[in-house]
Amino acid sequence: MTTTRTIHFTLNGEPVSAQIGTHQNLVEVLQARGLTGARESCAQGLCGCCTVLVNGMAVSACLYLAAFADGAEVRTIEQSNNGELDAVQEAFIECGAFQCGYCTPGFILMTRQLLDAHSDPSEDDIRHYLSGNLCRCAAYPEIIKAVKLAAQKRQDKS
Amino acid sequence: MSPFELDEPRTLRKAVALLDAGTACDEPVRAIAGGTALMLMMKAGVFEPARLVSLRRVEKRYAAVRVNREGALHIGAMATLSSLASSAAVKRAAPVITQTLRTLSNVRVRNVATLGGHLAHADPHMDLPPLLTALGAEVRTLSPAGERTLAVGDLYRGYFETVLADNELISEVTVPPLDGWRAAYLKVTTRAADDWPTLGIAVALQMTADTVAAARIVVSAATNTPLRLTAAEDVLRGATLDAATLARCGDAAASGVELAADAHGSSAYKRELLRVYVQRALRQIEKT
Amino acid sequence: MTISTAAVGRSIPRLEARAKVTGRAEYVHNLSVPGMLVAKVYRSTLAHARIRGIDVSAARALPGVHAVYTGEDIRRVIAEPYYGPAFHDQPILALDKVHYAGEPVAVVLAADAHVAEAATRLIEAQYDELPAVYDEVEAMTSKAVVHEVLKPAGTFADLKHLKDKRDTNIALDFHLRRGDVEQAFAAADHVFEHTFRTQQVLHVPLEAFATVAIPAGEHKTGTLTLHSSTQSPSFVRIEIARLFGWPENKVRVIVPYLGGGFGAKVYVKSEALAAACAMLARRPVKFACTMEEQFYMITKHATTLRIKSGVTRDGKITARECEVWWNGGAYADIGPRVTQKSGFTAAGPYEIDNVKIDSYALYTNLPAAGALRGFGIPQLVWAYESHTDMIARGINIDPLEIRRKNLLREGRPQATGTLMHDAALDLVLERLATRMQWSQPLDRGTETVRRGRGMAIGFKASISPTTSMAIVNINADGSCNLYSSTVDMGQGSDTAMAQMVSEVTGVPVEKITVVHPDTDVTPYDMATLGSRSTYHMGHAVKNAAEDARDKLFSLARELGLSAETTPIPDIFKKKYGMQAGNIVGVGSFIPPYISPDANGQTTDATPFWMIGATGAEVEVDTETGEFKVTRLVNLVDVGKAINPAIVETQISGATIMQLGFTLTEAMNFDAGQVTNASLADYKIPGIRDIPPAMENEAVDANQRSGPFGAKGVGESGTFGVSPAIANAIDDAVGVRLTSLPLTAEAVYRALRVKAGKPLIDN
Repeated sequence: MTTTRTIHFTLNGEPVSAQIGTHQNLVEVLQARGLTGARESCAQGLCGCCTVLVNGMAVSACLYLAAFADGAEVRTIEQSNNGELDAVQEAFIECGAFQCGYCTPGFILMTRQLLDAHSDPSEDDIRHYLSGNLCRCAAYPEIIKAVKLAAQKRQDKS
Repeated sequence: MSPFELDEPRTLRKAVALLDAGTACDEPVRAIAGGTALMLMMKAGVFEPARLVSLRRVEKRYAAVRVNREGALHIGAMATLSSLASSAAVKRAAPVITQTLRTLSNVRVRNVATLGGHLAHADPHMDLPPLLTALGAEVRTLSPAGERTLAVGDLYRGYFETVLADNELISEVTVPPLDGWRAAYLKVTTRAADDWPTLGIAVALQMTADTVAAARIVVSAATNTPLRLTAAEDVLRGATLDAATLARCGDAAASGVELAADAHGSSAYKRELLRVYVQRALRQIEKT
Repeated sequence: MTISTAAVGRSIPRLEARAKVTGRAEYVHNLSVPGMLVAKVYRSTLAHARIRGIDVSAARALPGVHAVYTGEDIRRVIAEPYYGPAFHDQPILALDKVHYAGEPVAVVLAADAHVAEAATRLIEAQYDELPAVYDEVEAMTSKAVVHEVLKPAGTFADLKHLKDKRDTNIALDFHLRRGDVEQAFAAADHVFEHTFRTQQVLHVPLEAFATVAIPAGEHKTGTLTLHSSTQSPSFVRIEIARLFGWPENKVRVIVPYLGGGFGAKVYVKSEALAAACAMLARRPVKFACTMEEQFYMITKHATTLRIKSGVTRDGKITARECEVWWNGGAYADIGPRVTQKSGFTAAGPYEIDNVKIDSYALYTNLPAAGALRGFGIPQLVWAYESHTDMIARGINIDPLEIRRKNLLREGRPQATGTLMHDAALDLVLERLATRMQWSQPLDRGTETVRRGRGMAIGFKASISPTTSMAIVNINADGSCNLYSSTVDMGQGSDTAMAQMVSEVTGVPVEKITVVHPDTDVTPYDMATLGSRSTYHMGHAVKNAAEDARDKLFSLARELGLSAETTPIPDIFKKKYGMQAGNIVGVGSFIPPYISPDANGQTTDATPFWMIGATGAEVEVDTETGEFKVTRLVNLVDVGKAINPAIVETQISGATIMQLGFTLTEAMNFDAGQVTNASLADYKIPGIRDIPPAMENEAVDANQRSGPFGAKGVGESGTFGVSPAIANAIDDAVGVRLTSLPLTAEAVYRALRVKAGKPLIDN
């Protein structure tokens, strides 16, 4: 046994492998691959800046051992939709739901998860679901509007 | 964080054996389930393991959630908190658990953190230990010595300390059928809405018509372990839930316990919160 | 040349919106360069101590460690390694003694951040502990002296008298005298005196401080590139060059987007250590703070404010005396400027004939305090607007009426003697009253849930005199580049500046690229702070754009073309025979300013006034003291909004930030050591903390001296929040809180005192 290993996982649809240390978290591994949309901020799973999806579930990558991504399907904000923005991204832009943009990828990924689970969330649902994401610029009122708009856009599209 | 050996056994029995081997040679070894709490300790440098035994590849049945014929809820220790939050079985058998999970940490942590890890971490600020204590839940454990069952209320020895041996893992949690019990959990936060609780207050009552047949009242967060407030329970037994009884129950709760002061509030203030919130929990039960 | 529809005044999305929603926007925190070493800092555990020795041998011996440096090592590349905007008091790494718990004492460099981190845990320092001082009022007279000798930087003329001053913790004292307060107090019908306190808090940008310092190869010794999360690239270049004894152009500072700033990232922060390490190691070095480390970098002043007013029977304020003690922590940073500039307005937005203000910047053994969204103003408004409300209640006048009666009106002299112009105090107050339906009775709630409302209004003088420069470059195809050192940290300056260029040149906004600060490329700007960019850089950008447009027009005319109707590419094509060349317009701006005299009097204190007011409604749970802010109404005067939608997010964002400073945020200390240096224990507002009803309005106003009638907006939303909420709590349950943060326990205890049954601690 050693403290390094090679992990194999699917990253935004592509099979990849990475040489990692057991102590490394998933943010480090993604950043080393040039994916910087997930970024460590609070380092405690509270702010959501490092949000990625592992096997379809949102996780705080800063609290997620890279070793645990072995065999998993990992998706990040960089996952391209043929260069098109999705309803959530469009809604965030239209509602001005960010300022510095540092927390934005996390909010967008979480909003997609929320809308996948509840197509028409109440304001209370939105506040509870996004309570684990912090925005120091405090674009919260605009974010709430954006989530509602994104839900509407998704319904219009379907 | 520094590198460590990482085992990923395929069975819980093997995991226990690896912990046993580590314990035998005095190696800093620990089990890691979701890892959300352990990662915080490792990142802060307060825990530097030589070896971690990951439970993520153990038998799938340890993540199962089911209700048995008698109505008891069986939850595998590796079930994630979000799987409980979205479980129809949990909502049917013990809706108070579903409600409690809504404000327990956040979605991402709940997606990863497991019930077993949540209980075994023994952080007195966790929400489910007091609630499961009030619900009379039990844990089943596995160690080289075999299996045993103990009440969640008997699981804690002290601050971040359980009665479990270093080579012993929780395998399953059983919540008994409600059988006329009704329960509430109030997470009292005094700073931001999303915060560790200042007080966790769990109350379960078994009612016979308008009379309380049995009661369990548990406080946490300001105590080293979840704590039964037996004097307050005694006030309720055989009584009806009128305003005077509620007030006496609140007073009994507040007078029978030492609450630690911290950044969430002074000891004296927490006592007043306890007095009020025990009554509010009772009123909430009354309404359900 | 075809003029597009007006660009200014439109709510266009941010230029970088797509980059931000796809996670592609660049931040220094994410930057990595080949051969880079990571710096991790070993910090002091004591608040005040002489360093006896630092043992770094075990750290040096750890495999993977490239180097370990202490303060003495820094001297090998910087002889006098002290920096700071007002005082050269802050060492890059502690020398001789540590002045606060958390001060950098040694640094480890390694290619692997985990190794560097592990090595810091192997460092041991021995100290002789010294008496420490933490309280700002005690610091006035304390025997514990933080710095033996004061070392003003020389940047500010009015600090020169403090040079080499010994045995004092007073870094600056500002005094303002107008009229005769003593006489007026004697003549007043009522005299009120109250003391207020604010707590130490911090900025918490989600992108913590980060710098990547890259020394040039051996063939180009003496040059250094800094990629840094700074709000002040020009200052960083000048200060780092000064430290090394180089000319300015040997240092290059490059700034991408910032993940928030709020005043934290002004002047030198992570840059000096990264630069020194890079020059010592001759390798690229990244110093990126963790969230925890932000608590040791820069904070907002805790304050004690004593305020005394003389009032007539009918509520006219005749005299006001203010004493303000600013807890500056161990290093002055820009604290002396906060002390002075906010001193101008400490008496509030009221016309008061007799004013006496004494404002003191103090050193203590706590993490340093500097500028945070409002530059001291939110602390002052907290005091004077709580005080105003207490006076109103004391003489039984409506809180709105007392403000109406005393408000500074157009053309009237403010406490410095400067006449108020384009300060829509009255309009802001009246719009607030209307939106709050102040004349209508409020539903007071039930026995145990009591409701109340409160209001507060504040104002701020801009930072002056400061300089901005800009270059507008029109390309041969009609596209355009704007070169400006204004940093977009989320406030939307890229977009606003592009709108101004578009408005002047007619080039559509989508054809304008805003070149981010790069001191080798973009011209000087004082800094992105104090809500100064829209006004100062806005003027420079407008001037540059006009210069470019005028040059383009004269070129067209020279070529016999119609300046107004010829498409831009055709002008270039005719001149150069192909798509070639460019037109460069330059602009600069510095507003007029007259330094105050010894009595704090000046006829020109500021180029513009910022106005902000908040109304709050609260519900108080009388059984527990818990309360909810159910409604916040925020009114500001921003002149004309360049981009109304972005302006609204600025008002709302500022308000919510101040809501955190009002309700949940507080740095806690034990013997000077921060005990809650994490977001788990230092609670910034989350989405569930936002009041269910929030309204924001920029009143219909015009800053006649501003570019396109505009002025700053970033801070105004903070002014009124704290006192409005305290005033609402008093309105609901009749208890008055005078210290921030406003906690449920404080309300509960006050209710118990009011009931004659104080809560006894066991």
